[in-house]
Amino acid sequence: MLAWHLLWRNWRSGEIKLLAVALALAVTVVSAIALFTDRLEGTLLEQSNSLLGADRLVKSNQAHKKEWEVQAERDDVSYSRVAHFSSMIFAGDEMHLAAVKAVANNYPLRGYIDVSTTPFATDPALIERAQGVPAPGEIWVDSRLLPLLHIELGESLQVGEHELVATKVVVSEPDGSGPFSMMGARIIMNWEDLAKTRVIQPGSRVEYQWLLAGSSSDMNAFMSWLEPQLSDHDEVMDIENAQRRLQGTLQTGRRFLVLAAIMGVLLAGVAIALAARQFAERHVNQVALLKSLGTSSQRIRQLYLVQLLLLATVASLLGLAVGAGLQALIAQIVHNIYQVTMAKATITPFILSLLSGPLALVGFALPSLWFLPKVPPIKVLRQELSVSKGAVGWQIAMASLVLVILVGVFGRDLTLGVTVLAALAVVGVLTGGMAFGLLAVGKKAGAQAGSRWRLAWASIQRRRGASVLQVVVFATAIMLLLTLTIVRTSLIEEWQVKVPENAPNHFLINVAPSEVDDFKQLLADDELKVEPLFPMVRGRLTHIDGEPKPEDTLNREASLTWTGELSEDNEVVAGQWWDTWQRSQLPGVSVEHEVAERLGIELGSQLTFSIGGLIAQAEVASFRSLQWESLRPNFYFIFEPGALDDYAPMYMTSVYLPPEKKQFINTLLTRYPTIVVLELDRIINQIRDIVAQVSDGVGLVLLMVLLGGCLVLIAAVTGSIDARKQEAGLLRALGAPRRLLVGSIWIEFALLGFCAGFIAVVASEALLLGLQVYVFRVPVQPHYFYWLATPIAGALFVSSLGAISCRHSVTTPPATVLREAL
Amino acid sequence: MAYMIQATELGKTVTTSAGDLTILKDINLRVVKGESLAITGASGSGKSTLLGLLAGLDVPSAGGVELAEIALNSLDEEGRAKVRADHVGFVFQSFQLLPGLTALENVMLPLELRGDRDAHDQASQYLQRVGLGERLSHYPPQLSGGEQQRVAIARAFACKPDILFADEPTGNLDSTTGHTINDLLFELNAEMGTTLVLITHEERLANRCARQVQLAAGELMISGSAAVE
Repeated sequence: MLAWHLLWRNWRSGEIKLLAVALALAVTVVSAIALFTDRLEGTLLEQSNSLLGADRLVKSNQAHKKEWEVQAERDDVSYSRVAHFSSMIFAGDEMHLAAVKAVANNYPLRGYIDVSTTPFATDPALIERAQGVPAPGEIWVDSRLLPLLHIELGESLQVGEHELVATKVVVSEPDGSGPFSMMGARIIMNWEDLAKTRVIQPGSRVEYQWLLAGSSSDMNAFMSWLEPQLSDHDEVMDIENAQRRLQGTLQTGRRFLVLAAIMGVLLAGVAIALAARQFAERHVNQVALLKSLGTSSQRIRQLYLVQLLLLATVASLLGLAVGAGLQALIAQIVHNIYQVTMAKATITPFILSLLSGPLALVGFALPSLWFLPKVPPIKVLRQELSVSKGAVGWQIAMASLVLVILVGVFGRDLTLGVTVLAALAVVGVLTGGMAFGLLAVGKKAGAQAGSRWRLAWASIQRRRGASVLQVVVFATAIMLLLTLTIVRTSLIEEWQVKVPENAPNHFLINVAPSEVDDFKQLLADDELKVEPLFPMVRGRLTHIDGEPKPEDTLNREASLTWTGELSEDNEVVAGQWWDTWQRSQLPGVSVEHEVAERLGIELGSQLTFSIGGLIAQAEVASFRSLQWESLRPNFYFIFEPGALDDYAPMYMTSVYLPPEKKQFINTLLTRYPTIVVLELDRIINQIRDIVAQVSDGVGLVLLMVLLGGCLVLIAAVTGSIDARKQEAGLLRALGAPRRLLVGSIWIEFALLGFCAGFIAVVASEALLLGLQVYVFRVPVQPHYFYWLATPIAGALFVSSLGAISCRHSVTTPPATVLREAL
Repeated sequence: MAYMIQATELGKTVTTSAGDLTILKDINLRVVKGESLAITGASGSGKSTLLGLLAGLDVPSAGGVELAEIALNSLDEEGRAKVRADHVGFVFQSFQLLPGLTALENVMLPLELRGDRDAHDQASQYLQRVGLGERLSHYPPQLSGGEQQRVAIARAFACKPDILFADEPTGNLDSTTGHTINDLLFELNAEMGTTLVLITHEERLANRCARQVQLAAGELMISGSAAVE
């Protein structure tokens, strides 16, 4: 109770406000970033799940069992079903082997089907989000089916024994690259029509998919029940094996958010430490008095600890509320701009945020306050007695430890946290040295300057220790902000590079060898940018070094190709490319390194493939890394030229089709009906949307870090306010004009800001070098603009802030100032 | 005979960059219950150091102090704090009021620390007693020097101490205000039967105490000679 009273009195007297604000800001930064990251991940997962049409799906060559539905309902997991098969579609005399998808009425559980009444529509105004699925008797078709069958929307076509009317074209759909989509145009029909077609007979090749969706806890509970029930024919799919293209981009985005969080928390932490230091200094006399009144050290420690814990609790709740509000605001903005509803946050970030307040207090404030109970009571009689404030090294160690814990727990990226902290420690030492040097150089210059400058330099020199500390703090704050700004810009640029404007947006597959020359000519006539053509056969990896391959990876046919030229987005990471590889008996194969790792393949391993029932063997010559983001044809397995000559290949390539040339597909398919076109433009747009979302999140984080920086500056300046007031009062009492004092304050802080800006830009370049090379792996480049802008901006910003913070010391009448200072 | 304060062979030496510096040497002093003692001396004679040792705020380099018949030498800082809490009150030259607390809260603070449930009422009464009944909610910077010292006196007596140590209580005040404050101090001291140890360089104030001793160069003198009691 007494602690509450004391806390309230300290709050009222303003001594604890800065500490509370800094603490609340730390929690705000943590909560906003933790909540935002959590929701972003949830959203991205949902969006990725929309590619599946569900959170999980069970695919099988048999329909799912009825009792599974009972358990799913019990576990609050919703379900739907799809049947994929290929079937010959007829319209008059025309026919086409299409990939048919029969869907239940509640399909899809995640994501949407986008449809249009205009074939090959790319204009958003012509595309609508489907409400439901095709009604019984209707069918939605791939645009390219219309020219293939020479029909238009509204006309009928025959699926098996049932006649259905094509009412819409499908622009995009979940799981658009279904198992039969390579074989022909896609069509979607209602499940209720499936039996009427009589297409599915015993022995038919059908893939049934049982789609599932629910909260992650419900889903986990259900899956742990379901998995033992599954047979060898059933396979569970989730997003990890469905969606790998986005992972690189998302990982980089996540790392950036964590980096921003570290910097935000660090800045808030510095503000907390400075505020706590001031609080402690102002409480030295109070503690001495309390001790003279007979309060024991233990009681004093307890009183302050309880006060601080109360403060941390209140500040944490406040910070969490502000953080939650901020991220809700940005989520709303994202929703308004991108029409994306962000997923709800889980409970974890709330708990972490609430814990971060007391943790930040323990790490940043407590070391500064630890000496307080040790203040000797005799201090009450001997004001001049100096009091030991504890080792700075211990304070830094505590702060670092808490930061590592915070980053490790909520950022889940301990390496990044430790790397940044180590770099910051080096930068801190260098910054201190540079600040000391710069101020020493300035001393001589200041002595020869005019009265305002002399006064300003005198003030800096008189508080040399504090001045160096302020420069270090300012420099650190500016450096962190600068680093974050530059990293953000270069990351966004990098993303732009990863998904370039003219990235191939259509895959053209199934080009027969006899068609290759004409096909190339057709593309050239239309001046289309086309990637090289790759020969391709479909094959299944069956054995590695004579042993059956692991069952959990690559359980499907893969595209196998051969080429002598390594694409520019492929890089050999181990072994030799064909020009230097020493062939033994078997032909060589180059394997994508991640799949090689998952399968336990080593250099020199002998791989056995089944290609259309024939066996092919090859020896692993190299491992390659490749950029899935490039959206060019990429292959897990590339054979040496000639290795697959005995297997009839088909060719594939990718091409960039600008929206106005989308009709080219019509021409192409009319001429070559067997070519399969995969439209990737939708996926590219989705990647762009995700990048835009991450960028918005980063902008918000930057704003909060900036706020942290301001708070640090204010905390550093207010530390010297009492002494400044006294000096200003004395000078004014001696007749110094106000403009002289105001001018000298502006100059003093401008000088400190300039030094800090200069040091910050040097340190920032050093930090960026490490981050760009080791963490983000982006090209290193100097930032000339910031070398000029940062010292000037630092001078302007710090001088404005300093002048505002110190305004009372020159505007209050000298008598009042002197009296207050007594 | 029971003494409220008994100092034996008390000495204080501090280490400075120039070597050891003796501030107090061989101080022997006894104060009986209810007695008022003035310790006088020039600036730098060691008066405040002696007060600190007698009140248990500091530890001696030599000799020992018994306060309310408790040997302070045998206690650690926590033990000495308890003795101060139970027996000692202070009035300081610089008032030592907490600027963020109102007059009432300054007086309530030591009572709250002792766990007194009626701290508010008691503090109000003492502030009424020192003539500040109308200024309970004023903050120290809003009060004059004399008023601030009244608050400090109210705070000191509110805990009903056995011994009151006053360090230059009027040192920061003009003579008229100082005179009024002294009257108040002695009045309350007499009312409550408190043992008073007063540090001052004012002869007139010292003379109001029952007994005076003088410190010169760290040694205790009485009427110009070394004090042996």
